[in-house]
Amino acid sequence: MNQKEFLAKVLPYKDKLYRLAKRLLVSAEEAEDAVQEVYLKLWKGRENIGNYKNPEAFAVTMTKNYCLDRLKSKQASNLKIVHSNFQNGENLQKKVEVNDGVELVFKIMQTLPEKQRMVLQLRDVEQFDFDEIAEMMESTETAVRVTLSRARKAVREQLIKQYNYGVS
Amino acid sequence: MELAEIEKLLEVYFQGETTLGEEELLQEFFASKQVPGHLEVYRPMFVAFGQAKEETIQTEIVLPKSRTFNYWKWGIAASFVILLGIVGFMFNDGGGLTDEEELALAEYNKARETMMLLSANFNQGTDAMLHLNEFNNGIANMSVIDQFNESKKLILK
Repeated sequence: MNQKEFLAKVLPYKDKLYRLAKRLLVSAEEAEDAVQEVYLKLWKGRENIGNYKNPEAFAVTMTKNYCLDRLKSKQASNLKIVHSNFQNGENLQKKVEVNDGVELVFKIMQTLPEKQRMVLQLRDVEQFDFDEIAEMMESTETAVRVTLSRARKAVREQLIKQYNYGVS
Repeated sequence: MELAEIEKLLEVYFQGETTLGEEELLQEFFASKQVPGHLEVYRPMFVAFGQAKEETIQTEIVLPKSRTFNYWKWGIAASFVILLGIVGFMFNDGGGLTDEEELALAEYNKARETMMLLSANFNQGTDAMLHLNEFNNGIANMSVIDQFNESKKLILK
């Protein structure tokens, strides 16, 4: 496979991969680096890419694993940049205006556990089917639905709290 | 769409059981202007998901320079070398010697060496032949003997 064919096949995923990476890593720059790394890895393994039933799901899984590794190594080195960049629920409610509803949703999403963030991103933002998400997450459809339900409910809960805070 | 239906759909949505089609209906509903007050709280969620999908990567993906191009170039170069080799072989058939030919050449050289040796000895032989000239001189001198014999005959008479 030459570079042109390769790019034609996998480049259309770049924005989806980027959005997922950014959902996990938060920083745009780190997300860009992550996508770049994933494409390098895909390029190195390009001879095998035809063997994958769903190259897009494969690319998403690679991005997910790369980002989770990055987060882990950050935690290990005690940097925790990502986690100190956004506030936990309590601070959030006081600092964010309720009419910034959309911004608030993004911030709430950043407080969710990584799995919930990813599932919410893949389903509600990217609108993938459950079987695809299960493949991407290396999980089962049932597990994905459970995680998704938890994530949606968590966002709702925070939104309602914030909403009531704004109204009262 | 009826409000009751939306409420039911929302409930299913939070259970993680809605289909993509149903989720699209919810998106459309919350994108509209008429959302009842008690559902307003959900609006940011659906708006945010829609907005999140608009974000795109701003940097270009950079891959190492394609090696396929080099393969292609090397392929052409290699073909030329092979072609030259074949052409050279065809036009220069005598250049390469078979085992038999080499043997023959060796025989020839050996024979030539022997002949050279022979001719060197032969030349030595011709040098020796120069002494024959002395002999010829001797023969010439012998004519004096003839004269002597004639004189002798005359005397005997």
